[in-house]
Amino acid sequence: MTDKSKFTKTAENCGCLIEDLIETKKPNSRLCEVKPNDIEVFVDPDPEKTSYDFYTRRMTDGLPIIPPTKPRVMKFLDYTDRNSDEILTVLPPRQGKAVVEKIAVNSVMAGCLPQFMPIIQHTINAISNEKFNLTSVNATTHPVGICMILNGPISREIGASSGTGCLGPGNIANATIGRALRLCLINIAGAVPGVGDHATMGSPAKYSYTFAESESESPWEPLHVERGFEPFTSTTTVMAVEAPHNVNDHRSKHAEDLLETISYTLSTPGCNNSHVPGEILVIISPEHAKTIAREGWDKMDIKNYLHKNSVVPVELGDRGGRKLDKKWIVGDGVRITRSPNDVVVVVAGGSGRHTMIAHSFGTSSESVTMPISYKDGTPVHSVQDFKQKIRK
Amino acid sequence: MNVKVIEKDLMDPLAEINEVNIDLNHIPHDFEYVTLLDNTKPGADVVLKFVEENLGKRKFNWVKKPAGAPATIKQLKKAAESEIVFLALGDCGSCSSWVILDAIRLEKMGIPTISICSDRFSSFAHELAKSHGAEALNILSVEHPIAGLSREEIVKKTLEILPSLRYILQIP
Repeated sequence: MTDKSKFTKTAENCGCLIEDLIETKKPNSRLCEVKPNDIEVFVDPDPEKTSYDFYTRRMTDGLPIIPPTKPRVMKFLDYTDRNSDEILTVLPPRQGKAVVEKIAVNSVMAGCLPQFMPIIQHTINAISNEKFNLTSVNATTHPVGICMILNGPISREIGASSGTGCLGPGNIANATIGRALRLCLINIAGAVPGVGDHATMGSPAKYSYTFAESESESPWEPLHVERGFEPFTSTTTVMAVEAPHNVNDHRSKHAEDLLETISYTLSTPGCNNSHVPGEILVIISPEHAKTIAREGWDKMDIKNYLHKNSVVPVELGDRGGRKLDKKWIVGDGVRITRSPNDVVVVVAGGSGRHTMIAHSFGTSSESVTMPISYKDGTPVHSVQDFKQKIRK
Repeated sequence: MNVKVIEKDLMDPLAEINEVNIDLNHIPHDFEYVTLLDNTKPGADVVLKFVEENLGKRKFNWVKKPAGAPATIKQLKKAAESEIVFLALGDCGSCSSWVILDAIRLEKMGIPTISICSDRFSSFAHELAKSHGAEALNILSVEHPIAGLSREEIVKKTLEILPSLRYILQIP
């Protein structure tokens, strides 16, 4: 027998020595006589089985998920300066504790890259702002989604799309960050369709609704700068809006003509805005932005124009049985926004003369812009900063 | 040699609930001042008028609040001037939410409440109350829908909650 004191143990809880193992020459013999297994191989759970299991427990959006194993979740926790068990906020209606680790678990399931964690974490903070009214946004019968608009260097670092097809398929950041938010709403807030989410029909916008503003293509200051942040601060803005609606205008050559097309498209009687006026989202394509800007119009001019002219005429609004709310009627119409500031203007998209508009939940929800920052409030300029801070 | 293949553990995406408990107020045996808190949903005024007509000779304080948002502090204070508050109507997700949450705000101010929701949303209303620590909140159910109906149709449906209303109020 070997002098055991000379050798290192192979495992603390078994006590076998490397020398013992080497001296074992019998074929098919056990390597270790103490533990029931000689080798334990850890494998990832089957994604198909996991997806189906989670789906039947109503913990998904219906699409397959990435199994949230601890090693995967741990990678996400590298991109936060918060403790994994820290409660960021409590989300209604279920009053679930939004613990950092739970946000990471849902982000893994959504197919996110670990580098997306700071965006998702700060978006959870943004939706918990009282003025966003997540209680209603989650529970309403209205088909409202939560649109996330990304600004600043981190949106470019993570490769979020602000260009061609940015509201459609094809980009992992756009596709999965919004999905991670939705899974957090389902599993943390309890916004399970028919349980905590009572949307009559829901909306495709509830799967993922994330894009970056095309700051380099915009003739105007980007959204986060307009809202008081430095250009190199990264932000996530959340807005409770319906799925986008297209404004096709290939013919307008002047700013006012184009904005008139947009305002007429906005002025529809069936939207929440005509009943309870509030914010609207206007995503102007770079080509449309140039048409407007070349005549010297700035963002405030656009906001003023669309606020003043986006009006549902009483004659049109009252044609059916719905009837406009008298308290919002001014003159012979209802303005769908309460002030120019309700008009949220961003530039995004690729080539082509299309703008997108989205009506909102209305009066009772306000958009919120949240800077990506350390816990102490210092802005973070790169997601890698989180890793470096942790190492220090 | 024994080789064991082990599937890695999955982490649970579900959040823990933030446990709280609210002390609810007892409905007084007798009361004179009643607030009818109307969230302006179509038919809410008819339902509350029905309540008014069936409570006998008392003093009624009508207050309006937004449907999909919390009552303002001013609205809440005005509502709290009475000994009991009736809130209506929760017949959709957001309005049911703020009927219940405003009722809880009033309960925290020491005012007993009775909320009225349509039956399609009353289980959600009960769950919401429970998750906010007010499981025993008084919630009455009227048959869904209320919106889109005539006054007579709404009154007919509201008539069905009268026995429950009397039971809660201990009116013989």
